[in-house]
Amino acid sequence: MEEKTYACFLGCVIPNRYPGIELSTVKMLRELGVESVDMPGAGCCPAPGVFGSFDLKTWLALAARNICIAEELGCDIMTMCNGCYGSLQEADHLLKGDPLLKDKVNEILAPEMEYKGTINVKHQVEIFTDDIGIERIKEAITMPLDGLRVGVHYGCHFLKPSAVRGHGKAERPGMVDALVEVTGAKSVEYKDKMMCCGFGGGVRTRDIEVALDITKEKITNMLDAGVDCTVNPCASCHLQFDRGQVEIEHIFGDRFNLPVLYYSQLLGLAMGHDPRELGMHKQNIPTDPVLDKVEGLK
Amino acid sequence: MNIGVYVCHCGTNIAGVIDVEKVTEYATTLDGVVVARNYKYMCSDPGKDLIRSDIKENNLDRVVVAACSPTMHEKTYRDVMEEMGGNPFLFEMANIREQDSWVHTDKDMATEKAYDLVRMAVAKVRRNEPLERIEIPVTQRALIIGGGVAGMEASLDLAEQGYEVIMVEKEQSIGGHMSQLTKTFPTLDCPMCILAPKMALHEHKNITIYSFSEIEEVSGYVGNFEVSIRKKAKSVIEDLCNGCGLCQEKCPTKVLSVYDGKLGTRKAIYTLFPQAVPRIPVLDRENCLMFTKGTCGVCKKVCPTDAIDYDQQDEIITEKVGAIIVATGYAEYDPTPIEEYGYGRYKNVLTGLQFERLTNASGPTLGVLKRPSDGATPKRFAFIQCVGSRDVNTQEYCSKVCCMYTVKNARLLRDEHPESEVYIFYTDVRSAGKGYEEFYKISQEKGVKFIRGRVSEVVGLPDDNLLLRTEDTLTGDVYEVEVDMAILACALLPAEGSDKLRDILKISEGTDGFFMEAHPKLRPVDTLTDGIYLAGCAQGPRDIADTVVHAKGAASGASVLISHTKMSLDPISAYSDESVCRGCGECKLVCQFGAIEIEPLNGRLIAKVNEVLCKGCGACVGACCNGAMSIRHFKDEQINSMIEAAMEVA
Amino acid sequence: MPVIKSIIRLNDLDTNFVDEVIETGSEVFGEEIPKTIMACMQCGRCSGSCPSGRRTAFRTRKIYREVVLGFREKVLSSDELWYCTTCYTCQERCPRGVKTTEIIRILRNIAAKEGYMSKSHKMAAGHVFRTGHAVAINEEIQNVREELGLSRLPPTTHSHPEALAKLQDILRKTHFDELVGFDWETMELKEV
Repeated sequence: MEEKTYACFLGCVIPNRYPGIELSTVKMLRELGVESVDMPGAGCCPAPGVFGSFDLKTWLALAARNICIAEELGCDIMTMCNGCYGSLQEADHLLKGDPLLKDKVNEILAPEMEYKGTINVKHQVEIFTDDIGIERIKEAITMPLDGLRVGVHYGCHFLKPSAVRGHGKAERPGMVDALVEVTGAKSVEYKDKMMCCGFGGGVRTRDIEVALDITKEKITNMLDAGVDCTVNPCASCHLQFDRGQVEIEHIFGDRFNLPVLYYSQLLGLAMGHDPRELGMHKQNIPTDPVLDKVEGLK
Repeated sequence: MNIGVYVCHCGTNIAGVIDVEKVTEYATTLDGVVVARNYKYMCSDPGKDLIRSDIKENNLDRVVVAACSPTMHEKTYRDVMEEMGGNPFLFEMANIREQDSWVHTDKDMATEKAYDLVRMAVAKVRRNEPLERIEIPVTQRALIIGGGVAGMEASLDLAEQGYEVIMVEKEQSIGGHMSQLTKTFPTLDCPMCILAPKMALHEHKNITIYSFSEIEEVSGYVGNFEVSIRKKAKSVIEDLCNGCGLCQEKCPTKVLSVYDGKLGTRKAIYTLFPQAVPRIPVLDRENCLMFTKGTCGVCKKVCPTDAIDYDQQDEIITEKVGAIIVATGYAEYDPTPIEEYGYGRYKNVLTGLQFERLTNASGPTLGVLKRPSDGATPKRFAFIQCVGSRDVNTQEYCSKVCCMYTVKNARLLRDEHPESEVYIFYTDVRSAGKGYEEFYKISQEKGVKFIRGRVSEVVGLPDDNLLLRTEDTLTGDVYEVEVDMAILACALLPAEGSDKLRDILKISEGTDGFFMEAHPKLRPVDTLTDGIYLAGCAQGPRDIADTVVHAKGAASGASVLISHTKMSLDPISAYSDESVCRGCGECKLVCQFGAIEIEPLNGRLIAKVNEVLCKGCGACVGACCNGAMSIRHFKDEQINSMIEAAMEVA
Repeated sequence: MPVIKSIIRLNDLDTNFVDEVIETGSEVFGEEIPKTIMACMQCGRCSGSCPSGRRTAFRTRKIYREVVLGFREKVLSSDELWYCTTCYTCQERCPRGVKTTEIIRILRNIAAKEGYMSKSHKMAAGHVFRTGHAVAINEEIQNVREELGLSRLPPTTHSHPEALAKLQDILRKTHFDELVGFDWETMELKEV
């Protein structure tokens, strides 16, 4: 594998709510031979469905500013949240495809910055799957998570709109399932697996009951299928499931206690790391049931 | 040289944009033009009479008509020339409709462009030479590719008129998709009952059937095709087999039956269905133990006529025909890629054709309704319409037959199982056809529930039931419906192997992949290749009634051709100037019609053009490096005169 | 029985609305994407696919119809418009290739300009004005970061004031401050 260094794009939820995601991703990637560097001064991506809904031009300019920081570093961007990925990848796609739009955005960015279109935006899942590859991950597994039943949640903006993202059709994807199953865990089929978590499009901010009702349905479906935890590749979905369960209890009175793991946390466990090194103890819903399930984890 | 110019108004098609009076006036100023007129419809009898009387009165020897495309009416006016004793090739058309009035809105500019086009046509006609048509013989036999209802109908029509018909069917039996169906709308006929009398065509003295056979190669040209047919090895000697069926009965190997939508099995030696024609079984070498393991031989042992031949080879047969009818039918769309409907994942999601087999008395369950997952009797049915049709992500076109066959199946369910819940989820109900709307209404009265909404997704439930989600767009409510079985009305696609056949026949296909007719309205059974006709779904989705009409049209088109022993061709072909040609063969290389041979002449080589095979495309003229090649009626000096005229200013 | 005026005169609707939507969308997406709305055949595949529609009155199909016919005020003022989570399921499945989710975003842009942006959304935007983040750091997470061996403040606008200034400059240039009603003096939302 070619040694590659990515510009690590943090966004908001990861550094400011779930630093365990940043910690575990950077650590696992490094152990698998992928380096990442900070993106000094990066900010909100900004959320494609939220800021994009308010004013697409502002959304695009702010996203372009973030991309410019990586262009300065000369690195492709690595994202750990479907929202960040969606935002930056879509902005990059639009700007690369429309020179006039690029000029308009550069007018806003001037004089200090200029979007050039020299780098690509990647999702963490792509890096694990394409750069590193399943085989290499398999070799790094020291603590197989045999017997662990996982409800995989893809989230929406990693795959959709498929015409822009280019990862194929989004109805029955397999990339994240493959990444989960290489750890020894089982990706369990459950009803409406590809349904949204409820976070996006500003619904969480504006109408949290609607957002949480969606989250609740997903959690119920996963539990009905007998999962031990849910695993996601998206910081926003992660927040919606983890923080969301506290809110669901508060608003609807239902208590689920479904452990929520970010993918690199699951991988970290399988690669022999202590859950505390992965920030798993700093979440709202205890992840202990996962540790109890797999012998040798505690 | 006396030239007459006639400017057509084409109603307002031309006159609405172009000032036809001015164009007429302008034409009179051109060299050699003795008379110019305009008329509302030049192609009408009074219009043609104007030309006729001028030929007589003004001694016209050359004529230009400024009107529509020559593909539309060139023949009309050439016939007038011929009828009046002139040479039909001393005629030109200036296309001031398709190439001018239809595509321009600025009236002054369009009129000026008409001046240019008329001036060019007059320049050309001045240099035209009288030509004689070429006469060729016609083989009075026809080839029908495909033995479904379209192919059968066309074959019978031609055979009854006394022509010999060669039918080639790729399956082992004729009958096509119609033989798979349970009942047909709107009359609820049993398809086999109405098909069987037609299938008796194999006994017709004028019809030869090659089943389990494919077209290998076609050469020749209109009236004179030579066809190679690959008769694939059935491993059964047809002359000996009496169709007793003992081999099928005793064969130990079971294989999923494609004919039954893989809902049931057949043997490794098998016929498609009880009424198969011919009744000769075919041995499936991919699954037969003799071929996979080298042992068994049961069929050979039990055969009372010793008809089994494991060493049989494919045979290539050559037939000469004058006309070809392509009746290759359709293939049902495989809905697996529409993952949200779960076909292939959920056993109780079926395609329309699978449902036909499931309810067919000779189908895998002998017509007893059982669902594939557990054999239980389904009570709640959802028919999902437009699967792979009317969808830019798959096929954009409407498959036309699905509304009615779904209504038929839904109604049959309510008739035969009154306790069943039957839903049809539709985008639009398209029931145009004689008796179709009435049929639709009856199905409503019988309790079929029509819900206007394109199903969004099918969710598999643990008990193999299915949960459908859809919006009822008429109430604006979102529904979830639990059913025992879902039937997808899948699109009709061009038949498998259509691409290969297209290349063999050198015919074209539309953007939808179906073979293309020469004109959507006026030449719906012709292709752009003379002598080749289309029948049925090969040209586009259509139901049985329309297929039969179309097939009869194709048979009529073919019989117009093969009813003659001779026919004449336009003499617009290439020829080489033997004094200049050096026999390099570049022209032969580029000729896609195989019309050029390099032959010796007085100790050197020259190119010789077969005028019948030549289509006058001009590729050889462009390839010839020393100007030896020309095309009659499109010679360099003729084309150059047009270009020079185009450069002049009116 | 009370008499209600239930007939709508189509002629009285804002027939230019769909053009306005296409024009607004064209600024970022180009014309092709917003123009797809014209091809909607009202099949309802979008609404049935919608996770929000299953629990609210949000009917994407109906919105596209109302846009094409010109129900400008009704569409822009509706709460339903904001129930879309932008999951794109409908857009993926639309048999006519309507870029449904993008059109919802475009409609929301117009609605925001017309003053239909919610207080909660303005407050979320306010965080970005102040910190460069929609979700900003707090004391608790700074402690967690430290405990995990990370810097107390992430290497983002939180620790790069010059980058934050540049970001704020962009928000001024695009007049996003006016749209949201952000007061640079108080660094708070203006009271409505």
